[in-house]
Amino acid sequence: MRWYILKTLLKKEFARHLANRGGIALAFLLVAAAVLLSVFAPRETAAAGTSMVGGVHHCYIDFDRATPLVKHLQANVPPELKAQVVFREIPPDRIGTLIESQPGTGSIQLTTKHEPGKRSVVQVYVWHPDGEPGALAPYEQWLWKASRGAFALEAAEKEPGATLPDAPPFGSDNNWQVLESHKRFQDQVEAGRKGDAVMPLVPDMTINRHGLGGKVLDFRAAIATGMVVFALYFTCVYLLPTLNCEERERGVLLAQALTPASPTELLAAKFVFYPVFGLGLAATLAAVYKPDVLSSLFFWLALFAVGGGFLGIGMTIAAWAKTQRAAFLGGMCYLLSVSMLLLICSINGIPYLSYLAVEFHGPRILHAALSGTVQTTHWRHLAAAVGLAVAWVFAAGWVFKRRGWQ
Amino acid sequence: MLTDAMIRIAGLRVLYGTFAAVDGIDLDIRRGELFGLLGPNGAGKSTTIRVLIGQRHPSAGNVTVGGLDVVREWASIKPTFGYVPDRENHFEEFTGRRNLEFFGQLYNVPKLRAAEVLKMVELDEAADLPVRGYSLGMRKKLLLARALLHEPQVLYLDEPTANLDIHSAEVVHRILRERVKAGATIILTTHDMDEVEKICDRVGIMARGKLVALDSPLALKQQHTERKVDAIRDDGERFVYDLDTPVGRNDLAALVATGRALSIRTREFDFHATFLKLTGLAFD
Repeated sequence: MRWYILKTLLKKEFARHLANRGGIALAFLLVAAAVLLSVFAPRETAAAGTSMVGGVHHCYIDFDRATPLVKHLQANVPPELKAQVVFREIPPDRIGTLIESQPGTGSIQLTTKHEPGKRSVVQVYVWHPDGEPGALAPYEQWLWKASRGAFALEAAEKEPGATLPDAPPFGSDNNWQVLESHKRFQDQVEAGRKGDAVMPLVPDMTINRHGLGGKVLDFRAAIATGMVVFALYFTCVYLLPTLNCEERERGVLLAQALTPASPTELLAAKFVFYPVFGLGLAATLAAVYKPDVLSSLFFWLALFAVGGGFLGIGMTIAAWAKTQRAAFLGGMCYLLSVSMLLLICSINGIPYLSYLAVEFHGPRILHAALSGTVQTTHWRHLAAAVGLAVAWVFAAGWVFKRRGWQ
Repeated sequence: MLTDAMIRIAGLRVLYGTFAAVDGIDLDIRRGELFGLLGPNGAGKSTTIRVLIGQRHPSAGNVTVGGLDVVREWASIKPTFGYVPDRENHFEEFTGRRNLEFFGQLYNVPKLRAAEVLKMVELDEAADLPVRGYSLGMRKKLLLARALLHEPQVLYLDEPTANLDIHSAEVVHRILRERVKAGATIILTTHDMDEVEKICDRVGIMARGKLVALDSPLALKQQHTERKVDAIRDDGERFVYDLDTPVGRNDLAALVATGRALSIRTREFDFHATFLKLTGLAFD
């Protein structure tokens, strides 16, 4: 391996990208997207897990008057919903009518009706996305809890010294509603019994909720992972084969092969340039999203494993395809085939088959690295990705050796 | 067998499946010789060149360049030859100069060499324009410039003057003669017999994968030119005089002596007719 030849070949690849700036423009767009992703979502939201609550990213609380209830609600929005809950005052005649909203939004309308000599009525209208009655559940859960608090407070203020029921055991879930309803049912049953029965008829109930141990998908980390994977795919499975096949189609690859540059040197230049370009771009995107990920060994190992896998796939396509168009279509066909395979395996619960795809392991390990949730299972995925990368690179070398330069 | 052969082709056969593109060629080319390879499309010229540049392995026979086997010692042969393909293959987005500098660096020649060869092929004024704006002739000349970068001992040229104007073709011929004077061995394929006659030392004619004629252009001409004279008398009557017969020579002399000859023309070498005679094939 002669350095002056390798240097010349690397400079040539770089100069070709400078002359045809499509690849560089896309790289800049990706970086810009990563910057926007970083700037327009505060990091605390990401730490909470997701900025998309139940498929509704914004919930409007519409009211006609700033009643004590509305004021209480405004003062008691929990931090995790602060960015998503928007209060807005609307004319009374609009309450109960459909107000067209952007996709991914819902609204809860509140109005209080007073009639002399009668108990006031608080009317609540929940406008959820069609077909998704539970889409506003996180907002409703907060609303019922905060409303209950507001009414209790109001009653205490109006009847100081009165014996009022204790506040329900508010937790992070909605169990208090079920338990209170059950308690009321117990009381009603006991009140309706004849004689002096000692043992209550309806048993007590306790509810215990636990997570399954999985983590809620971090959407921002998922988007960042997508961009990192795309950067590697774009450079290694798209740019490398298409530019390589363009050289072959034009006969420039043959012209280079007839110079003192050996096949190993020609291959090495391509094996170095595109992965370095892809890894550099991917690392930049990851760093824009989360700078401290660059100090993570797991992240770098994951990046190299996925980059190596994509490089092998790209070189295999480059060796097989005779023309630039064939290389482009080869990349697309590969992407589609693997996507279909992973989807079918996932939907039908087919085991093991999807383990053979770099695309199965890659996003998992990169997402774990970017969201800081690396577990033992991710190291296994990493080992599998490294194995597949090695296999693909060998396959690429073998095919390239057989197909030659023309 | 020549003792000073630079290129030695012995019993070369190249098969594409069962089709023999080259069918048992024996050919020696001297050091410092400019050799013309002629033949119709599909005659096996390009396949022979492909074997010489190491892009096709012989099915049988062996080929050596400078005593080195083109299959086993290809890596050693590569730096010694230059190749001008029939189809241009440049980096379109680079300038002519950038193209040459890139290939020059692979041959480890100084950057200045690119400017020298650009001047040699008269492309120095267009050197800094992207190749995508070059005409076919300019592209062809750039190919020659690339092949000359490292001053190779052997040059393979596939129709080097196709698409060139008369002046550019003259420039190419001059460069090739200079290279031969400097000791380089050149094989060129062409369809142009005038070109062969003008610059080649020897000519080989191929047909159906075989070498059907091998000689100097002059010898070929002598062998195949009809020694006849076409004349038109002042009364419009036409005559053909055979110079190989005493009667023909005497009749022609008589016509000239009477001063009644309106037009007298010797028959020139007709490559197409010669080719037909040698191969029985039409020349494309």
